[in-house]
Amino acid sequence: MKAVVYVAITDEGRAYPFWTVSWETDLMFWMHEWFRLAERAPIPHAGAQWLCRLRPMLPLGAAEAVYERLKERMERMGAQRVSPEEASRLLQEAAGPGQGNDSLRKKRGRLALWGFRTRANAGHRTHSVAVDALRVADWRRLNGGGCGGGNGDADGNGCGGGNAKAGGDGGESGFSGGYAPGCGNGGVGAGADWHRDEAAKLLRAARQAGRQLEGRSLLLDEALGLLSQADSGDALRHLQLAALLGEARLAAAIEPPRGRRGLRCRRCGSGENRMRRSACASCGSDSCAVCEACITMGRSRACGLLVAGPAQMASLGHPPHDAGDSGSPLFVDRWGLSQPQLRASEAAVRFLREVGDRGGRGRDERRQAKRASAGEQHGLSGRLSRAWGRRLPDRIRRRLPACLLRLVPHANRELGKPPSRRFLLWAVTGAGKTEMIFPLLEEVLSRGGRALVATPRRDVVLELAPRLAKAFPGTKLAVLYGGSEDRWSNAPLTLATTHQLLRFQEAFDLVLIDELDAFPYHNDPMLHYAAMKAQRRMGATVFLSATPPHAMQREARSGRLPCARVPVRFHRRPLPVPARLTVPPIAKWVNRGRVPAALRKLAHESVRRGAQLFIFVPYIRHVEPIVALLRRHAGDWGLSREAIGGTSSKDPDRGNKVTDFRNRRLRVLVTTTILERGVTIPRSDVCILDAHHAMFDDAALVQMAGRAGRSAEDPKGRVFFCSAYVTRSQKRAKMQIRSMNRLARKLGFLEETPG
Amino acid sequence: MKGEWLERMYRWFSPHNGSCPVCGRDRRDGAPPLPVPIRHAAARQALSSLCGDCMRAIPWIDIAACSICGRPDRCGDCLRRSVRHFQCCRAAVRYDAVMRDWLALYKYRGLERLEPVLAAMLALPAERLLSRVTAFAVAAVPLADERLRERGFNQAERMALRIARWYRIPYLPLLRRVRHTDKQSFKGRGDRLENMRGSFAAAGPVALLDDGKERNIILVDDIYTTGSTINECAYVIRKAYPSCKIYGLLWARS
Repeated sequence: MKAVVYVAITDEGRAYPFWTVSWETDLMFWMHEWFRLAERAPIPHAGAQWLCRLRPMLPLGAAEAVYERLKERMERMGAQRVSPEEASRLLQEAAGPGQGNDSLRKKRGRLALWGFRTRANAGHRTHSVAVDALRVADWRRLNGGGCGGGNGDADGNGCGGGNAKAGGDGGESGFSGGYAPGCGNGGVGAGADWHRDEAAKLLRAARQAGRQLEGRSLLLDEALGLLSQADSGDALRHLQLAALLGEARLAAAIEPPRGRRGLRCRRCGSGENRMRRSACASCGSDSCAVCEACITMGRSRACGLLVAGPAQMASLGHPPHDAGDSGSPLFVDRWGLSQPQLRASEAAVRFLREVGDRGGRGRDERRQAKRASAGEQHGLSGRLSRAWGRRLPDRIRRRLPACLLRLVPHANRELGKPPSRRFLLWAVTGAGKTEMIFPLLEEVLSRGGRALVATPRRDVVLELAPRLAKAFPGTKLAVLYGGSEDRWSNAPLTLATTHQLLRFQEAFDLVLIDELDAFPYHNDPMLHYAAMKAQRRMGATVFLSATPPHAMQREARSGRLPCARVPVRFHRRPLPVPARLTVPPIAKWVNRGRVPAALRKLAHESVRRGAQLFIFVPYIRHVEPIVALLRRHAGDWGLSREAIGGTSSKDPDRGNKVTDFRNRRLRVLVTTTILERGVTIPRSDVCILDAHHAMFDDAALVQMAGRAGRSAEDPKGRVFFCSAYVTRSQKRAKMQIRSMNRLARKLGFLEETPG
Repeated sequence: MKGEWLERMYRWFSPHNGSCPVCGRDRRDGAPPLPVPIRHAAARQALSSLCGDCMRAIPWIDIAACSICGRPDRCGDCLRRSVRHFQCCRAAVRYDAVMRDWLALYKYRGLERLEPVLAAMLALPAERLLSRVTAFAVAAVPLADERLRERGFNQAERMALRIARWYRIPYLPLLRRVRHTDKQSFKGRGDRLENMRGSFAAAGPVALLDDGKERNIILVDDIYTTGSTINECAYVIRKAYPSCKIYGLLWARS
């Protein structure tokens, strides 16, 4: 998509830069003063006397970059009066080559950097792009019947002088008095026969678009779907008008580079290293950037439009009863929470209230941020980052040890500072996380706020939806996932897959992210960016996890991240602590056709005590051979061959096999990490083969161990790490489980049973 | 612990193979063996970026059973066709479910990192064709302006440009689309043939082709279903330059 950059000069002679994707809408806006009486309009109550525009339309990203430079320049000029000639010069300057000492920039001109070929940068020394200026009053007089007609007569209004100055390209560059309509501006009339009620209709459409877009952040295609308009021309007009009225915000989907920061995807926050540049037929640039990090959600590209609703400053209503009163409970427990759950939920609700009271960013926080950035400038890290350049390619970053990465501030922190309004709810596997979020949701909903529950998998969304609907019967619930029907409905309570977070902006007072370390966003900075973006400025984000990533654990330990731990399951027995068995790596025995004795013994034991046995392996390719091997021994354990099965992500029959396993038709199930979470089997043991494998980090190990002992009847499931050697992951997993048990004992949550 | 450190050392020194452009998974093993003979180094390199699973999933057309359209099995369409304006067509792969997904990823999702891989797959029939005929130029089936703006690129043109560069044949934009047709993928055979009539035109005189000598032109498109698009394009080109012979080069044959 292409855009026009122009400068509007008001009656007082002040200049304001703009860019637009629908030039005729902007023309109309400046012609007719009643548009500008809107509250949030950019220059309230002031008409424009002159409009100066760059004649060529620029790719959207380039247009925005030019606009930014212009704005900076004009802000520096302050309240100075600007003549149309000067404004045109400024426009040409902003679009022309930069003043910096960057040799590439000097050589090719700024537009060329954006892949836009202007005739000026084809080799001439003088770089100038054509600028048209038009006096609004003349335009109104001349264009009785719509803006289609090309008016060649430049009435001598003092701006012809610009022509002489423009070097090189003759008529193409330079400054022409009359407006030559070069690019498609038919359709909307701007003259006398153009009625007020038509303007009112447009205004209504624009306002409605703004209302519908509230809290969203959508690519143009998605926005068209939301506004249910097939005609993109019409929709663009409405969106542009809404943007002029301050009812919507338009931006290029990829933020232009600024200072030393490269491109950045405005939707998912990914930096330069996830961008791919290619020739683009829709903007004519030969290196238009596309973000590959979020491409599954539609293409976010430098010339694509990202549409967001109006900026909001609304805050929550007051809590129902006084927060300072320590005697009364924070909320009424109508969900039957256990004591450990209650304790954590209360901590989280207290956090929400504190955050609500705190308002904007506190002074302390600001000071801290300042100090941090100052440290970066002077310290070793600053020097290193300067020496290494701004971006570190992915393939190098993956190889660097963590201690080195920490020295390079931009290496893992390119997504800006972490949001300050975060809370971690760290609950062991099987603690009943879902019930614990109810008080939080109630807190926000009862105060008139909006809440989002995001969870990684679609089946979890579908399973959770009826439970939420039952818990909050009076509240409208929107359920979002790829292809859901509620896609465009706004509701106080939203349940969505984590991907859908990207489509919101400043929408929720509470963003709840379930299983933040699970598959699609495992250690992905995109998730944090998306959560931060979806949360309102006064809102908060609560993360739920049984196995938070190390960085978060560290933050929680040091107190930087407020955190509540639920160290015990609902049946109040300690978590089974994994035992380690030395078993040779799978590769050593699977093809020789014999099962290690230790493994045979533990399987026999499990079968004898009547438990279901999970056997986890690192790779799908190991599932089948191990099932075949174990079946040879089925007779020894008193099982039929069919009672031993295997499944993986590639198995279309997975659902049935899990049901069979639950119904005890299958007794031993060989599987990969696909079943590491979300599956609850009442009486089960867990055996992890090749637990030393790099694929199993401590989070995965804890999750898999968490499949055992989940029911009250059999809380003492057995867990085995079968590995060739001990690894840090195994140690950490064990440590994490033990520390949770310790904490539970300390808090008196455990019901110790004799034996 | 010792084992873990050895493992780390090993990882530190072993080459990182990057991730597969199609499925995005890290490639554990090195370059998978190429099951078909492709000579051009750039094409081979592009294909070797695939992981083993994706490489094995490609349904190559090794032997063309129909000498006209290059279909790997017996072909009724070519017998039924009354007038044929192209000499022959050759396709790289069968259009099965996997290939449909790949093309959808590239065309509709806009995953442009697939482009070199798809073009490299086209190198197989290109090399076989070029060993028989000397090509004068490469052209591509054009896209309607509106569709082009929406998608941002013309997949056939992109592939043609790569083929042209690899085999040092000039690329000529010989055609333009004059009529916006509905999507072909929803239509039956008869409709497709009708639908194509008069939707292309010659893009303007090319001086090089005007001398009346016999020239072989390779026309690139992504999918061949009934051949109506290629036939229509060949007809338009031959009307403008009657001495030309058109050879179709297709990425997939359905």
